[in-house]
This record gives sequence, C-alpha cells and structure tokens, in this order.
Amino acid sequence: MEQKILNIMKSVFQTDVVDVTCSQRSCEQWDSMNHLNLVVELEMEFGVSFEPEEIVKMQSFQEVVQILKGKLA
Amino acid sequence: MFVFRNHTIEPFFPNGCSFSGYDDVSIIPENEDAYVWFYQAPIKFDNGLLAEEINAMQQKFQLVLGKVSPNKTVIAFTMDLPYLVSSTNSDFRVKNAIAKYNEMLVVAASVRSNLKVVDVSEFTRQYPASELLDWKFYFLSQMGLNPRLAKPFQEWFAKKLEQIALKRKKCLVLDLDNTLWGGILGEDGIDGIKIGGDYPGKAFLYFQEALLELSKSGIILAVCSKNNEKDVFELWEKNPFLVLKKEHFAAWRINWQDKATNIKELAEELNLGLDSFVFVDDNPTERELIRQMLPMVSVPEFPSQPYELPVFFGSLVEDYFKVYAITDEDRNKTEQYRANANRAQAQRSFTDYHDFLRSLNIQLTIEAANEFNIQRIAQMTQKTNQFNLTTKRYTDADIKAMIQQGCKVFCLAVADKFGDGGITGCMIVNGTEIETFLLSCRILGKGIEFAFLKKVLQKLKNEGQTKLKAKYIPTAKNAQVRDFYEKCGLSCVSEDKLGTKFYSADLRTMDFEIEDIYHMEIK
Repeated sequence: MEQKILNIMKSVFQTDVVDVTCSQRSCEQWDSMNHLNLVVELEMEFGVSFEPEEIVKMQSFQEVVQILKGKLA
Repeated sequence: MFVFRNHTIEPFFPNGCSFSGYDDVSIIPENEDAYVWFYQAPIKFDNGLLAEEINAMQQKFQLVLGKVSPNKTVIAFTMDLPYLVSSTNSDFRVKNAIAKYNEMLVVAASVRSNLKVVDVSEFTRQYPASELLDWKFYFLSQMGLNPRLAKPFQEWFAKKLEQIALKRKKCLVLDLDNTLWGGILGEDGIDGIKIGGDYPGKAFLYFQEALLELSKSGIILAVCSKNNEKDVFELWEKNPFLVLKKEHFAAWRINWQDKATNIKELAEELNLGLDSFVFVDDNPTERELIRQMLPMVSVPEFPSQPYELPVFFGSLVEDYFKVYAITDEDRNKTEQYRANANRAQAQRSFTDYHDFLRSLNIQLTIEAANEFNIQRIAQMTQKTNQFNLTTKRYTDADIKAMIQQGCKVFCLAVADKFGDGGITGCMIVNGTEIETFLLSCRILGKGIEFAFLKKVLQKLKNEGQTKLKAKYIPTAKNAQVRDFYEKCGLSCVSEDKLGTKFYSADLRTMDFEIEDIYHMEIK
C-alpha cells in the first residue's frame, strides 16, 4: 500500500522526488490544489471516502498512510 | 489558455492553463493563446438572488469579451444546473436566468466569430445529479463539479478543442448497396432493395434522412459505388422511398473501376483536397483499400447491423463534421437573435468597470481580531499563497500571543449584493512593521486590497503612528503582489539578492483616498 501511495503522490505532484518523509512542509508541489487532487486519486484508488477532518490531517506521507490504514481496517 | 471561473475547476483543465481569481474579471492577461469562460451556477438557497447573480454574470462575460482581442479564441461554456432546491414547483427564476445566460452566449457567438460556445450539458447529462456534485468537495474546496469527473471531463474537452481547431471535413463519399439501402441493386432490382417500410428499410431511411440534413449544413455528398450507372439513375428516378436522389449528390463515380482511383477523380472534379474526404462503405475490403491507397481520406468503420446506423451517424458527425456544438445547431435562430444582440448588449454591459463595481454594492468591514475570528485568521495565514506579501504561517495560538505582545491584527469581511463572502483578508502590524498582509484570491479583482490597506493605515495614522515598514518576500506563488506596495504608495528602499523588497511609508504624507465604490466600516 505504501508503494501505491508513493506512486500516486509522484503522479499527482509530477515529481519523482517523493519518499516516505514527504510532507506539505517539505514538498513544494503539495499545495492546496494538489492536495485536493491527491485526495481524489486516493479515494478512487482505494475505494474509500475521506472525511473532511481526515483530509485536513493528511499533511504528510506518514499521516496519509495512517489514516488510510484506519479506513481500510 | 486562460480560464475565467467562479469555482475551483483547476483539475478539469490540462496542465499549463492559468486561471483567473474566483469570479475575477479585472485581469485579462494579454499573451494567452486562448481564453475560456467557465462560470458555474452558484449554490444558494435564495432563488431570486441566485437568478440575479446569474444575470450579472452576463455582464461580466460581456466585459471580458469586449476586452479580449478579436484575433484570439474565446471558448465559453454554457451553464447548467447541477443542484437546485426549490420549495415550490413553479419557481422557474433560476432556470430562466440560466436559459437567458446561455442564449446570451449564443447571441454573442453569432456576432463575434472568435467566440465558440461549448454546451456543458453534453458532458453533464452523462451523469446523474448525485455524481455531478460532491458536497464534500464543494464545501472543502468550492468545487462546483465532482473532482472525480476531472479525467472524463478533460477527455471530453480535448475533443471539443479539436472540433474547434480542426477544419471539419467537407465531403462525404458514400457507397450505395448495403450502405444507403439494404440489399444489392443489381440483384434485388429497383423495387427489391430495402428502403423505407419495415425494418431494415426503416433504418436505412433514417440514415438517408440524417445525411440529407447533414448536406443542408454544407457537407458535400458524393457517391462511389460498384454498380451500373444506368441502374442507379433509374432507381433515383423511380423509387419513391429514396430520400437521397441525384440532385443531392455533387458528384458520383458509379462504375467497376477500383474505388481509390474513383475517389481521386472525385477530389479533382470537386476541387477538394483528399484530406477533406470521409469515405463510408459497408465492405471492409473497400475500406481497407482506401486506407492503404489514400491514407489522407478518413475511413470510419461501418456498423454490421442496420439498427446501429443512428449511432453510427452520430459518431460520424461528432468525429468529422461537427464544428462546435451550439452555434451550428442554432444557425437559423441566430439570425433572428442577431438583431437583438447589439441592443441587449448595450443595455447589459457597463462601459465602465467602476460603474459595474459600484453596482455590486460592496461592503467592506474591518475588524480587530477577537475570539470569534482568530481561528479564521490563522487558517488564512496557513492557506493563502497567492495574495500574500510575506507568506508567514501562524497558528491561532501564535496570533493570540502576538496580540498579547502588542501586535495589531485586523481582518476584513467582504459582502456584496449577491452574498456574504465572510472574512477573506487579514493584516498584522507589529510595532512599525507590517508582518502580514493577505487576501483570499476569491475576492480579488475589485480593488478591495487597496481599500483595505489604505483604510488600516489611515486608522494607524489617526492613532498617532507616523512611519511604517513593510516587506515583500517572494515565493513560487506570490509574484502577483510583487509591486503591490508600490501601487499603494509605499516606497521601496531596497531589494536583496533573493528578491525580498523592503518598504517604508510616511503616514503623514500618504494618500489615503479610496475610490468611492465601497461601503466601508471599521469596527
């Protein structure tokens, strides 16, 4: 799942420089518009629907993984 | 391509497009190759107000259209209604406003050849209302269309762009047997072929009627068939069920020669390039021959069953003969419209942008930070990228601490006759320096930024402050405010290597005049 998420992030942010440390603070491409794009892609890929509170919290790769795991559990 | 919009629609357009601010028609960048106008019906409960707002969008569109060079393409989307709550069944105000808006676009396209109208319902009608709008993304990101539809929308829009850019094909070359009628003329005879009457003749009749309409829109029809010419002439003369007859074809090759040679001859006779030809034949061998011999001729697949002809015709039009949706369909109507167009335009459009802004009845309310708005202020410092002079991020705790240390924190609420935009700007002054000045991009384009800054500075002056410093710190996103302070009358005293600009202002001599189009209040 982690790899899948990384791939989605790479494709949404249009950069290969994405790893497990990626966060909104460190990644310039992770702006509000791409955050929205990322949420949509993740929702479609994993067949989930994030709550607004979760969407706000997903500020780093680690948080994305954590929230997604919670959803799929 | 530059897109004027009132909602978040970035994911629906290809990379490389630029976007206006939300509902911002003040800036029309000049070096764009094309402009897109995509306004979506706002979502609100007061139908009267909503209808009025849609009416005002006509004025905004006319403003933009008037300012764009006539040499540049403007693509305007029609408006449709993804969502409407009406407490009565007979409340048509919003629907009427949308109909009028769309009519205005068609009328404008009839007098401005650089304007192309794209019917958005062609896309939206493929989806149920519940899929078109996702309330979550509407509330989170102001999206008037479900972002999950971004990909299919982009594909559809790309096709529309092709239709706008491409020359449509000019000539349709048709086979006869089993293409325009069922059966083989040479075997079944002029009474034996299947045209009209019951199925499958009915399906071929439909196809012929459709082709006749196509020819009326200016497409040239020609025939290329392996038959005896004399038999076909006799059929055209005698069979009463045929819709397409000799007079509908500009040229024909009815003989036993190979079809590639025939089509080349047709091109010469009609003085048309082969690349403007489309060839329709039920026989796969003939299609393959033309594809091999004359690759510039377009050769679509032909349906195996006559009942598929309507769908086939639809794709034929869509792929080769459509220019773009509405104006073509409404060609006759547009004539009637044309007379009204200029009159209506004069009534609708304000010649002066300031008059237009004045008509909006803009209310600006400046308020010091308090427990009710601190959260919103902090959130704006976190989220605002474009109109943000220093891009400093604060939490609400940071802001509370700053106030305790003596910082002055102001926020701006904006409302106009169409609704209340809430708190959309903030300014933080730390002693003699402006720490933060930002506005949400959805209220830009109305000069509000100048009024906000000047009003606060004037207040500081009245409180005894004489001098003030300020900074512009460049980021990847805030280039648009690079010269903002200059425009407000501050002087730039230096600029460092990274592009950070340092300003100073003497409040005693500063010009605080604000255009009289706003109703301002300081709380």
